[in-house]
Amino acid sequence: MISVKNLSHSYSNDDKLAVKNISFEVEKGETFGFLGPSGAGKSTTQGILTGLLKQQQGEVKVAGYDIKKVQNERFNKIGVSFEQSNVYSKLTALENLKYYADLFDVPTRDPLELLKLVGLDSRKNDRAGEFSKGMKHRLTFARSMINRPELWFLDEPTTGLDPAIAAIIKDIIRGEKANGTTSFLTTHNMYIADELCDRVAFIIDGEIKLIDTPKNLKQQYGKKLVEIEYVKEGKICKETLKTVEESDRKKIADIIKAHKIQTLHSKEATLEEIFIQVTGRGLI
Amino acid sequence: MKILSTYVKEMKIASRGFYFYIEIVIALLALLILLVAVKENPDGKSEEFLYNDIPNEVLSALYERDTEKGVMRFVGDTEFKIKAGAFTVLNRDTGVEKSFEYNEVKTVIAKTYQKLNSDTGEVIGKAYVLENEEDMIRLSNNRGTIGATTTMDKDGNFSYKYFLQGYETQRYSDVLYLLHTFTAEDIDTTKDRQITREIGGSGRLNNRQAVVPVFIAFSGALMGFFIIMSYVFLDKDQGVIKAFVVTPSSLWNYLLSKIFVILSTVIISSSIVVIPIMKLKPNYLLFYVFLIASSFLFSAFGLLIASFFDTISKAFGVLYIIMIGLMLPAFSYYISSFDPIWIRFLPTYPLLEGFKGIMKGQADIIYVLIYTVVFLVGGGILLALANLRFKKSLTV
Repeated sequence: MISVKNLSHSYSNDDKLAVKNISFEVEKGETFGFLGPSGAGKSTTQGILTGLLKQQQGEVKVAGYDIKKVQNERFNKIGVSFEQSNVYSKLTALENLKYYADLFDVPTRDPLELLKLVGLDSRKNDRAGEFSKGMKHRLTFARSMINRPELWFLDEPTTGLDPAIAAIIKDIIRGEKANGTTSFLTTHNMYIADELCDRVAFIIDGEIKLIDTPKNLKQQYGKKLVEIEYVKEGKICKETLKTVEESDRKKIADIIKAHKIQTLHSKEATLEEIFIQVTGRGLI
Repeated sequence: MKILSTYVKEMKIASRGFYFYIEIVIALLALLILLVAVKENPDGKSEEFLYNDIPNEVLSALYERDTEKGVMRFVGDTEFKIKAGAFTVLNRDTGVEKSFEYNEVKTVIAKTYQKLNSDTGEVIGKAYVLENEEDMIRLSNNRGTIGATTTMDKDGNFSYKYFLQGYETQRYSDVLYLLHTFTAEDIDTTKDRQITREIGGSGRLNNRQAVVPVFIAFSGALMGFFIIMSYVFLDKDQGVIKAFVVTPSSLWNYLLSKIFVILSTVIISSSIVVIPIMKLKPNYLLFYVFLIASSFLFSAFGLLIASFFDTISKAFGVLYIIMIGLMLPAFSYYISSFDPIWIRFLPTYPLLEGFKGIMKGQADIIYVLIYTVVFLVGGGILLALANLRFKKSLTV
């Protein structure tokens, strides 16, 4: 569904590259996570894939279209949910979706159904300008589904949402995946990537450091850990110990034997920890 | 259909915003001011130009008499520069037209008298007496005010020829007849010895109508230019252009729909002023064609300028300079002596001239149509450039 070969991009049209010779492919029906901190090149890459930025070097095919050739009809197959909400504040939620539906050449979804899906049906006749940040974000998200996209670009889809709404959004993304939608998810939130993505790419300083499934990455880079809280001389102590190292295993046994255990949790390495391990950089 | 949807959406947004009503309110205010505060015809305090074809001894006696009566006071000489130009004088009684054409500026000296209210001594006007009739007619035409020639026949009877501007009512002309008649029975015989003539034929604009071309030109052009930029900056602020670009609809639709919104408001606001003031005088087909073409040009220009900036505050300096520059031809319109060649190259100059001609009902159709084509072609080029600029200036 997406094919990128040797893509580079410079905003200043010189050798100062925001994206450096990256290559990757996204299969049909896959949810692909593009992970990295701010300024890593995520948005630049997504901007090129969605046509907001002009392709300079490399080859890019999106939904079967060579994006160097201007073909607006490709957007009939594409949906884009922006990180920054960008809806018409003077139009109602329903008017926003109805207007966008008119811009596509393919059968579109019922705007009311979409508003219901994101929990905005009761506010359908309210102007978007009166909405909270989270509500605008949901409206932007709902709008990206109006044309039943085969390829869905999601830029930080749960950022700024409360946990309950974020859970609804994640369920919708899973539901669309079940319907065969391909998703390109750009985020710096490793937890959502871990939950939703089939494969992830780590990008930093414009370069892709690795691409793999979250499971493989955890197996390859992760270390099995035990987090233990115990009482020692009236004080609560906390330690994180590796189950694969003999000395740590012995220490766990000693603690259990000698002290009163408050909590004991097994713990896998998170994608964030793996990202730091691989790139040497944090995600913020 | 996409452009229709986008246009309907834009009209909804415009009608729910502030800028849409600015133009309408300004048009209503302008109409109110023109109807209430601007008189159609000049009042009694206006200046007049006179030529007296009377023997000097008679003239001196008349001035002495008027001075003694306290109705006139000599105040000195005034120098006038009469502009070059062409005009026509129509004899109302015979229907005969006479054309005048002058290629050079002429300086003349006029004896200047203050006209006084004999009871209060208040100055009620000024009369300038010229040495020859031709200079008097030229000045009367240049200054857009009344002129008169007084002659005396061999029997000692006076005759008067008035040179009016063409917009005066019949009632005003009748008052001029009566001014020199002492009894009602004398009116007919006196009337035989008076001829009123109007300068410039029937195409003159009265004081109120003369404001209309300026209002239309600047409301349509400058407000369109400014308001379309405001709409674009609002969209930029909300990020909706990015959302539009990732749909199958082209950027042309977006830009054109913005222009259509401006054209709609310009047509409404202009009609509010033009129709009640001008009534059936203008050629409305020509007027709306010219209005649409000029608004298209200035809206496209606004789009192009807006493509270079992110916010209206960043664009304000450029916006201000452009608007002041475009307003300069208004000085030429109101101050006839200010008409440098360079000002004619500003697009608002032919705009004012075109609207002036249309409002008079005497438009030079070829001139108006040539500039209609120029405005449409120019607008098309600016729109194409704006389209390129918008594509290039999209960011993530």
